[in-house]
Amino acid sequence: MTYKLYNDTEFGSLSGVIQTLDNGVKKFIPINEENTDYQEYLKWVAEGNTAEAAD
Amino acid sequence: MALTLHGTVADNTAVLSRPNAKPLIINGDMQVAQRGTSFSASTSEIYTLDRFKYIDIDSTDNVYTITQDAEVPSGQGFAKSLKVDVATADASLDSLDGTLIEQRIEAQNLQQLNFGNSSAKSLTLAFWVKSNKTGIYVVRLLQSDNSSKQVSYAYTISSANTWEKKIINIPGDTAGVITNDNGSGLQISWLLSAGAGLQSGALRSAWTAYANGDVAVGQVNLADSTDNEWYLTGVQLEVGDFDANSIPPFQHESFADSLIRCQRYLYDPLRGSASFGALALGVCLSTTICRTVISAPAEMRTRPTIVTSGNLEVAGDNFSPAVTATAVSARTGTQAMEVQFTVGSGLTSGEGAIVRRDNNDTAQFRLDAEL
Repeated sequence: MTYKLYNDTEFGSLSGVIQTLDNGVKKFIPINEENTDYQEYLKWVAEGNTAEAAD
Repeated sequence: MALTLHGTVADNTAVLSRPNAKPLIINGDMQVAQRGTSFSASTSEIYTLDRFKYIDIDSTDNVYTITQDAEVPSGQGFAKSLKVDVATADASLDSLDGTLIEQRIEAQNLQQLNFGNSSAKSLTLAFWVKSNKTGIYVVRLLQSDNSSKQVSYAYTISSANTWEKKIINIPGDTAGVITNDNGSGLQISWLLSAGAGLQSGALRSAWTAYANGDVAVGQVNLADSTDNEWYLTGVQLEVGDFDANSIPPFQHESFADSLIRCQRYLYDPLRGSASFGALALGVCLSTTICRTVISAPAEMRTRPTIVTSGNLEVAGDNFSPAVTATAVSARTGTQAMEVQFTVGSGLTSGEGAIVRRDNNDTAQFRLDAEL
Protein backbone atom coordinates (compact mmCIF):
# COMPACT_ATOMS: atom_id res chain seq x y z
CA MET A 1 0.00 0.00 0.00
CA THR A 2 1.31 3.45 -0.94
CA TYR A 3 0.16 7.04 -0.61
CA LYS A 4 0.88 9.77 -3.14
CA LEU A 5 -0.30 13.37 -3.05
CA TYR A 6 -2.00 14.73 -6.12
CA ASN A 7 -2.80 18.21 -7.37
CA ASP A 8 -5.92 19.68 -8.89
CA THR A 9 -5.49 19.35 -12.64
CA GLU A 10 -7.00 22.76 -13.34
CA PHE A 11 -5.60 25.00 -10.62
CA GLY A 12 -2.56 23.07 -9.43
CA SER A 13 -3.40 23.23 -5.75
CA LEU A 14 -3.20 20.14 -3.56
CA SER A 15 -6.33 18.10 -4.25
CA GLY A 16 -5.95 14.94 -2.20
CA VAL A 17 -4.09 11.71 -1.63
CA ILE A 18 -4.07 8.62 -3.83
CA GLN A 19 -3.88 5.37 -1.91
CA THR A 20 -2.84 2.42 -4.07
CA LEU A 21 -3.62 -0.95 -2.53
CA ASP A 22 -1.66 -4.14 -3.17
CA ASN A 23 -4.49 -5.47 -5.35
CA GLY A 24 -4.27 -2.46 -7.65
CA VAL A 25 -7.34 -0.66 -6.33
CA LYS A 26 -6.82 3.11 -6.19
CA LYS A 27 -8.52 5.41 -3.74
CA PHE A 28 -8.73 9.14 -4.42
CA ILE A 29 -9.02 10.53 -0.93
CA PRO A 30 -10.12 14.16 -0.47
CA ILE A 31 -8.49 16.45 2.05
CA ASN A 32 -11.39 16.35 4.46
CA GLU A 33 -11.09 15.43 8.11
CA GLU A 34 -14.62 13.98 8.14
CA ASN A 35 -13.56 11.37 5.57
CA THR A 36 -12.49 8.16 7.34
CA ASP A 37 -9.91 7.33 4.65
CA TYR A 38 -8.32 10.75 5.21
CA GLN A 39 -8.41 10.15 8.97
CA GLU A 40 -6.58 6.87 8.35
CA TYR A 41 -4.02 8.69 6.18
CA LEU A 42 -3.42 11.26 8.92
CA LYS A 43 -2.77 8.43 11.41
CA TRP A 44 -0.28 6.93 8.95
CA VAL A 45 1.49 10.29 8.70
CA ALA A 46 1.45 10.66 12.51
CA GLU A 47 3.30 7.33 12.72
CA GLY A 48 6.20 9.00 10.91
CA ASN A 49 5.38 8.11 7.32
CA THR A 50 5.50 10.50 4.36
CA ALA A 51 3.48 10.29 1.18
CA GLU A 52 5.16 10.49 -2.21
CA ALA A 53 5.12 14.03 -3.59
CA ALA A 54 2.65 15.03 -6.25
CA ASP A 55 3.74 15.05 -9.90
CA MET B 1 -61.59 9.72 10.12
CA ALA B 2 -61.73 6.41 11.93
CA LEU B 3 -58.46 4.69 12.76
CA THR B 4 -58.62 0.91 12.82
CA LEU B 5 -55.98 -0.82 14.90
CA HIS B 6 -54.90 -4.43 14.71
CA GLY B 7 -53.07 -6.58 17.24
CA THR B 8 -52.85 -5.88 20.92
CA VAL B 9 -53.15 -2.49 22.56
CA ALA B 10 -49.52 -2.74 23.56
CA ASP B 11 -48.45 -3.45 19.98
CA ASN B 12 -50.31 -0.44 18.66
CA THR B 13 -49.07 1.83 21.41
CA ALA B 14 -45.49 0.89 20.65
CA VAL B 15 -45.84 1.44 16.92
CA LEU B 16 -47.80 4.67 17.18
CA SER B 17 -45.37 6.16 19.67
CA ARG B 18 -42.27 5.25 17.65
CA PRO B 19 -40.42 8.60 17.46
CA ASN B 20 -38.43 7.83 14.33
CA ALA B 21 -40.11 7.61 10.93
CA LYS B 22 -37.23 5.58 9.50
CA PRO B 23 -35.38 2.75 11.22
CA LEU B 24 -32.26 3.84 13.08
CA ILE B 25 -30.53 0.76 11.69
CA ILE B 26 -30.00 0.98 7.94
CA ASN B 27 -30.28 -2.24 5.93
CA GLY B 28 -31.22 -4.26 9.00
CA ASP B 29 -32.81 -6.86 6.74
CA MET B 30 -29.52 -7.28 4.82
CA GLN B 31 -31.14 -6.68 1.43
CA VAL B 32 -28.66 -4.14 0.04
CA ALA B 33 -25.23 -5.35 -1.05
CA GLN B 34 -23.66 -2.72 -3.33
CA ARG B 35 -20.12 -4.03 -2.83
CA GLY B 36 -21.03 -7.60 -3.76
CA THR B 37 -22.41 -10.61 -1.97
CA SER B 38 -19.26 -12.44 -0.87
CA PHE B 39 -16.24 -11.11 1.00
CA SER B 40 -13.03 -12.61 2.30
CA ALA B 41 -12.58 -10.96 5.67
CA SER B 42 -8.83 -11.33 5.98
CA THR B 43 -7.91 -7.68 6.49
CA SER B 44 -8.39 -5.66 9.64
CA GLU B 45 -11.53 -3.85 8.46
CA ILE B 46 -13.82 -4.21 5.47
CA TYR B 47 -17.37 -3.20 4.72
CA THR B 48 -19.50 -6.15 3.64
CA LEU B 49 -23.25 -5.88 3.07
CA ASP B 50 -24.17 -2.21 3.09
CA ARG B 51 -23.63 -0.49 6.44
CA PHE B 52 -22.29 -3.66 8.07
CA LYS B 53 -18.57 -3.65 8.69
CA TYR B 54 -16.25 -6.50 9.66
CA ILE B 55 -13.49 -5.56 12.09
CA ASP B 56 -10.54 -7.56 13.36
CA ILE B 57 -9.57 -5.63 16.47
CA ASP B 58 -5.94 -6.55 16.83
CA SER B 59 -4.65 -8.61 13.97
CA THR B 60 -5.34 -10.03 10.57
CA ASP B 61 -5.05 -13.72 11.34
CA ASN B 62 -8.77 -14.41 11.42
CA VAL B 63 -10.17 -15.30 8.04
CA TYR B 64 -13.90 -15.49 7.51
CA THR B 65 -16.02 -15.63 4.42
CA ILE B 66 -18.92 -13.20 4.80
CA THR B 67 -21.84 -13.52 2.42
CA GLN B 68 -25.35 -12.35 1.77
CA ASP B 69 -27.40 -15.48 2.35
CA ALA B 70 -30.98 -16.58 1.68
CA GLU B 71 -31.18 -18.45 5.01
CA VAL B 72 -33.71 -16.51 7.13
CA PRO B 73 -36.07 -17.06 10.05
CA SER B 74 -39.30 -18.56 8.78
CA GLY B 75 -42.41 -16.42 8.58
CA GLN B 76 -40.77 -13.13 9.60
CA GLY B 77 -40.77 -11.45 6.20
CA PHE B 78 -37.02 -11.47 5.74
CA ALA B 79 -35.36 -12.63 2.52
CA LYS B 80 -31.66 -12.15 3.29
CA SER B 81 -29.21 -12.56 6.12
CA LEU B 82 -25.55 -11.82 6.73
CA LYS B 83 -23.61 -15.06 7.06
CA VAL B 84 -20.18 -15.40 8.64
CA ASP B 85 -18.40 -18.64 7.80
CA VAL B 86 -15.05 -19.55 9.31
CA ALA B 87 -12.59 -20.12 6.44
CA THR B 88 -9.41 -20.46 8.51
CA ALA B 89 -9.74 -21.64 12.09
CA ASP B 90 -8.05 -19.84 14.96
CA ALA B 91 -8.51 -21.87 18.12
CA SER B 92 -5.85 -19.98 20.07
CA LEU B 93 -6.63 -16.27 20.06
CA ASP B 94 -4.10 -13.63 20.97
CA SER B 95 -5.03 -11.75 24.12
CA LEU B 96 -6.43 -8.67 22.43
CA ASP B 97 -7.58 -10.36 19.27
CA GLY B 98 -11.25 -10.05 18.56
CA THR B 99 -13.51 -10.05 15.56
CA LEU B 100 -16.89 -8.46 15.14
CA ILE B 101 -19.62 -7.28 12.79
CA GLU B 102 -20.56 -3.65 13.33
CA GLN B 103 -22.97 -0.94 12.23
CA ARG B 104 -22.09 2.69 12.94
CA ILE B 105 -24.98 5.13 13.26
CA GLU B 106 -24.47 8.74 12.20
CA ALA B 107 -24.54 11.02 15.22
CA GLN B 108 -27.02 13.57 13.90
CA ASN B 109 -29.58 10.77 13.50
CA LEU B 110 -29.39 10.08 17.25
CA GLN B 111 -30.15 13.51 18.68
CA GLN B 112 -33.63 12.34 19.66
CA LEU B 113 -31.99 10.19 22.34
CA ASN B 114 -31.11 13.27 24.41
CA PHE B 115 -27.92 11.62 25.58
CA GLY B 116 -26.03 13.90 27.92
CA ASN B 117 -28.92 15.14 30.03
CA SER B 118 -31.39 13.80 32.56
CA SER B 119 -33.99 12.95 29.92
CA ALA B 120 -31.70 10.59 28.03
CA LYS B 121 -33.78 7.87 26.42
CA SER B 122 -33.20 4.17 26.64
CA LEU B 123 -32.92 1.91 23.61
CA THR B 124 -33.89 -1.62 22.71
CA LEU B 125 -31.84 -3.64 20.26
CA ALA B 126 -33.51 -6.64 18.62
CA PHE B 127 -32.12 -9.05 16.06
CA TRP B 128 -32.42 -12.59 14.73
CA VAL B 129 -29.36 -14.79 15.02
CA LYS B 130 -28.42 -18.39 14.29
CA SER B 131 -25.28 -20.48 14.64
CA ASN B 132 -24.23 -24.09 14.89
CA LYS B 133 -22.03 -23.01 17.81
CA THR B 134 -24.15 -22.52 20.89
CA GLY B 135 -23.13 -20.53 23.94
CA ILE B 136 -22.63 -16.97 25.05
CA TYR B 137 -22.07 -14.18 22.55
CA VAL B 138 -21.67 -10.46 23.24
CA VAL B 139 -23.14 -7.29 21.74
CA ARG B 140 -21.20 -4.13 22.55
CA LEU B 141 -22.31 -0.52 21.97
CA LEU B 142 -19.72 2.25 21.94
CA GLN B 143 -19.89 6.05 21.80
CA SER B 144 -16.92 7.41 19.89
CA ASP B 145 -17.86 10.99 20.91
CA ASN B 146 -17.36 10.20 24.59
CA SER B 147 -13.93 8.65 24.80
CA SER B 148 -15.40 5.35 23.61
CA LYS B 149 -17.75 4.78 26.56
CA GLN B 150 -19.32 1.41 26.12
CA VAL B 151 -21.95 -1.04 27.30
CA SER B 152 -21.75 -4.76 26.64
CA TYR B 153 -24.36 -7.48 26.93
CA ALA B 154 -24.33 -11.24 26.69
CA TYR B 155 -26.89 -13.16 24.73
CA THR B 156 -27.07 -16.92 24.48
CA ILE B 157 -27.53 -18.99 21.37
CA SER B 158 -29.36 -21.87 23.01
CA SER B 159 -30.17 -24.21 20.16
CA ALA B 160 -27.78 -25.08 17.36
CA ASN B 161 -28.83 -24.17 13.84
CA THR B 162 -32.04 -22.53 15.03
CA TRP B 163 -33.04 -18.91 14.48
CA GLU B 164 -33.53 -17.08 17.77
CA LYS B 165 -34.72 -13.51 18.32
CA LYS B 166 -32.70 -11.59 20.87
CA ILE B 167 -33.82 -8.43 22.63
CA ILE B 168 -31.42 -6.26 24.59
CA ASN B 169 -32.33 -3.22 26.69
CA ILE B 170 -29.81 -0.39 26.76
CA PRO B 171 -30.04 2.54 29.17
CA GLY B 172 -29.80 6.15 28.10
CA ASP B 173 -26.57 7.93 28.93
CA THR B 174 -27.28 11.03 31.02
CA ALA B 175 -23.64 12.08 30.95
CA GLY B 176 -22.40 11.50 27.42
CA VAL B 177 -23.46 13.94 24.72
CA ILE B 178 -23.63 12.59 21.18
CA THR B 179 -22.32 15.49 19.12
CA ASN B 180 -24.76 16.74 16.51
CA ASP B 181 -22.61 16.08 13.46
CA ASN B 182 -22.03 13.61 10.64
CA GLY B 183 -19.55 11.48 12.59
CA SER B 184 -20.20 8.19 14.31
CA GLY B 185 -22.66 8.46 17.20
CA LEU B 186 -23.09 4.83 18.18
CA GLN B 187 -21.23 1.72 17.12
CA ILE B 188 -23.16 -1.52 17.58
CA SER B 189 -20.88 -4.54 17.49
CA TRP B 190 -21.72 -8.23 17.39
CA LEU B 191 -18.65 -10.08 18.65
CA LEU B 192 -17.58 -13.26 16.89
CA SER B 193 -14.45 -13.98 18.90
CA ALA B 194 -12.49 -12.33 21.71
CA GLY B 195 -9.13 -13.12 23.30
CA ALA B 196 -8.55 -13.24 27.03
CA GLY B 197 -7.59 -9.58 27.19
CA LEU B 198 -11.03 -8.60 25.94
CA GLN B 199 -12.73 -10.78 28.56
CA SER B 200 -10.81 -10.04 31.74
CA GLY B 201 -13.19 -7.40 33.13
CA ALA B 202 -16.96 -7.35 33.41
CA LEU B 203 -19.89 -6.85 31.11
CA ARG B 204 -21.24 -3.31 31.54
CA SER B 205 -24.97 -2.64 31.53
CA ALA B 206 -24.37 1.05 32.31
CA TRP B 207 -22.28 3.36 30.12
CA THR B 208 -18.72 2.98 31.37
CA ALA B 209 -15.31 4.29 30.35
CA TYR B 210 -13.73 2.06 27.74
CA ALA B 211 -11.65 -0.83 28.99
CA ASN B 212 -10.39 -3.69 26.85
CA GLY B 213 -11.37 -6.24 29.46
CA ASP B 214 -15.02 -5.20 29.44
CA VAL B 215 -15.58 -5.64 25.71
CA ALA B 216 -16.66 -9.26 25.43
CA VAL B 217 -16.71 -11.18 28.69
CA GLY B 218 -17.90 -14.75 28.12
CA GLN B 219 -17.78 -14.58 24.33
CA VAL B 220 -17.39 -17.96 22.62
CA ASN B 221 -14.74 -18.32 19.94
CA LEU B 222 -16.68 -18.72 16.71
CA ALA B 223 -13.34 -18.91 14.88
CA ASP B 224 -12.23 -22.12 16.55
CA SER B 225 -13.43 -24.40 13.75
CA THR B 226 -14.05 -24.16 10.04
CA ASP B 227 -17.34 -25.96 10.73
CA ASN B 228 -18.69 -22.81 12.39
CA GLU B 229 -21.05 -20.28 10.90
CA TRP B 230 -23.16 -17.43 12.24
CA TYR B 231 -26.13 -15.63 10.71
CA LEU B 232 -27.66 -12.23 11.47
CA THR B 233 -30.77 -10.46 10.15
CA GLY B 234 -33.76 -8.41 11.25
CA VAL B 235 -31.68 -5.91 13.18
CA GLN B 236 -33.74 -3.12 14.72
CA LEU B 237 -32.94 -0.43 17.27
CA GLU B 238 -35.94 1.13 18.98
CA VAL B 239 -36.15 4.15 21.24
CA GLY B 240 -37.60 3.03 24.57
CA ASP B 241 -37.74 -0.11 26.67
CA PHE B 242 -39.39 -3.13 25.10
CA ASP B 243 -39.54 -6.83 25.77
CA ALA B 244 -40.37 -9.80 23.56
CA ASN B 245 -44.06 -9.02 23.80
CA SER B 246 -43.99 -5.27 23.38
CA ILE B 247 -41.24 -4.68 20.83
CA PRO B 248 -42.67 -3.08 17.67
CA PRO B 249 -42.47 -5.11 14.50
CA PHE B 250 -39.45 -4.73 12.24
CA GLN B 251 -39.90 -1.72 9.94
CA HIS B 252 -39.62 -3.25 6.48
CA GLU B 253 -38.55 -0.64 3.94
CA SER B 254 -38.82 -1.00 0.18
CA PHE B 255 -35.56 -2.03 -1.47
CA ALA B 256 -35.36 1.38 -3.17
CA ASP B 257 -35.79 3.24 0.13
CA SER B 258 -33.17 1.12 1.83
CA LEU B 259 -30.77 1.49 -1.11
CA ILE B 260 -30.96 5.27 -1.17
CA ARG B 261 -30.30 5.44 2.57
CA CYS B 262 -27.23 3.25 2.02
CA GLN B 263 -26.11 5.52 -0.82
CA ARG B 264 -25.45 8.33 1.63
CA TYR B 265 -22.46 6.20 2.66
CA LEU B 266 -21.59 4.34 -0.54
CA TYR B 267 -22.67 5.01 -4.12
CA ASP B 268 -21.79 2.72 -7.00
CA PRO B 269 -22.67 4.48 -10.28
CA LEU B 270 -21.85 1.29 -12.20
CA ARG B 271 -24.26 -0.79 -10.11
CA GLY B 272 -26.27 -3.13 -12.31
CA SER B 273 -24.40 -2.32 -15.49
CA ALA B 274 -22.73 -4.86 -17.75
CA SER B 275 -19.92 -4.57 -20.28
CA PHE B 276 -19.63 -0.99 -21.60
CA GLY B 277 -21.82 0.20 -18.73
CA ALA B 278 -21.93 4.00 -18.61
CA LEU B 279 -20.31 5.88 -15.74
CA ALA B 280 -20.36 9.57 -16.66
CA LEU B 281 -21.03 12.10 -19.37
CA GLY B 282 -18.42 14.78 -20.00
CA VAL B 283 -16.67 17.05 -22.44
CA CYS B 284 -13.28 16.58 -24.07
CA LEU B 285 -10.92 19.44 -23.22
CA SER B 286 -8.14 18.19 -25.52
CA THR B 287 -7.12 15.07 -27.38
CA THR B 288 -6.20 13.42 -24.07
CA ILE B 289 -8.51 14.84 -21.38
CA CYS B 290 -12.22 14.36 -20.73
CA ARG B 291 -13.75 16.17 -17.77
CA THR B 292 -17.00 14.87 -16.22
CA VAL B 293 -19.36 15.49 -13.34
CA ILE B 294 -20.79 12.54 -11.42
CA SER B 295 -23.81 13.26 -9.22
CA ALA B 296 -24.81 11.23 -6.19
CA PRO B 297 -28.50 10.28 -5.75
CA ALA B 298 -28.39 11.23 -2.07
CA GLU B 299 -26.19 13.78 -0.37
CA MET B 300 -23.20 11.84 0.82
CA ARG B 301 -22.17 11.93 4.47
CA THR B 302 -18.94 13.69 3.64
CA ARG B 303 -16.82 14.40 0.58
CA PRO B 304 -16.29 10.83 -0.61
CA THR B 305 -13.27 8.79 -1.45
CA ILE B 306 -13.40 7.61 -5.04
CA VAL B 307 -12.43 3.95 -5.29
CA THR B 308 -11.44 2.67 -8.73
CA SER B 309 -10.17 -0.50 -10.32
CA GLY B 310 -10.27 -2.08 -13.76
CA ASN B 311 -10.41 -0.61 -17.23
CA LEU B 312 -12.56 2.29 -18.43
CA GLU B 313 -12.71 4.06 -21.78
CA VAL B 314 -13.82 7.45 -23.10
CA ALA B 315 -16.27 6.92 -25.96
CA GLY B 316 -17.42 9.55 -28.44
CA ASP B 317 -18.04 9.98 -32.13
CA ASN B 318 -15.58 7.52 -33.70
CA PHE B 319 -13.23 7.32 -30.74
CA SER B 320 -13.02 5.16 -27.62
CA PRO B 321 -9.50 5.24 -26.17
CA ALA B 322 -8.77 3.56 -22.85
CA VAL B 323 -8.48 5.64 -19.70
CA THR B 324 -4.89 5.80 -18.51
CA ALA B 325 -5.31 8.06 -15.50
CA THR B 326 -8.05 9.45 -13.32
CA ALA B 327 -7.98 12.64 -11.29
CA VAL B 328 -10.51 14.04 -8.87
CA SER B 329 -10.98 17.75 -8.48
CA ALA B 330 -10.40 19.48 -5.17
CA ARG B 331 -13.76 21.13 -5.72
CA THR B 332 -15.60 17.83 -5.34
CA GLY B 333 -18.52 18.10 -2.92
CA THR B 334 -20.97 15.82 -1.16
CA GLN B 335 -23.47 15.91 -4.03
CA ALA B 336 -21.42 16.25 -7.23
CA MET B 337 -17.90 15.12 -8.06
CA GLU B 338 -15.73 16.58 -10.82
CA VAL B 339 -13.62 13.80 -12.25
CA GLN B 340 -11.10 14.08 -15.07
CA PHE B 341 -10.16 11.07 -17.19
CA THR B 342 -6.95 11.01 -19.23
CA VAL B 343 -6.30 8.86 -22.29
CA GLY B 344 -3.21 8.39 -24.47
CA SER B 345 -4.69 10.20 -27.46
CA GLY B 346 -7.66 10.21 -29.78
CA LEU B 347 -10.27 12.49 -28.20
CA THR B 348 -11.75 15.39 -30.13
CA SER B 349 -11.52 18.64 -28.21
CA GLY B 350 -14.88 20.27 -27.63
CA GLU B 351 -16.94 17.15 -28.19
CA GLY B 352 -19.05 15.35 -25.62
CA ALA B 353 -18.13 11.84 -24.57
CA ILE B 354 -19.22 9.00 -22.32
CA VAL B 355 -16.90 7.38 -19.81
CA ARG B 356 -17.79 3.70 -19.54
CA ARG B 357 -16.47 0.24 -18.84
CA ASP B 358 -13.97 -0.81 -21.49
CA ASN B 359 -15.52 -4.07 -22.75
CA ASN B 360 -15.63 -5.63 -19.29
CA ASP B 361 -18.15 -5.97 -16.49
CA THR B 362 -15.68 -5.78 -13.63
CA ALA B 363 -14.29 -2.24 -13.62
CA GLN B 364 -15.27 -0.44 -10.42
CA PHE B 365 -15.84 3.19 -9.60
CA ARG B 366 -17.40 3.83 -6.20
CA LEU B 367 -17.96 6.88 -4.04
CA ASP B 368 -17.29 5.95 -0.42
CA ALA B 369 -18.27 8.14 2.54
CA GLU B 370 -18.65 5.42 5.16
CA LEU B 371 -18.29 5.95 8.87
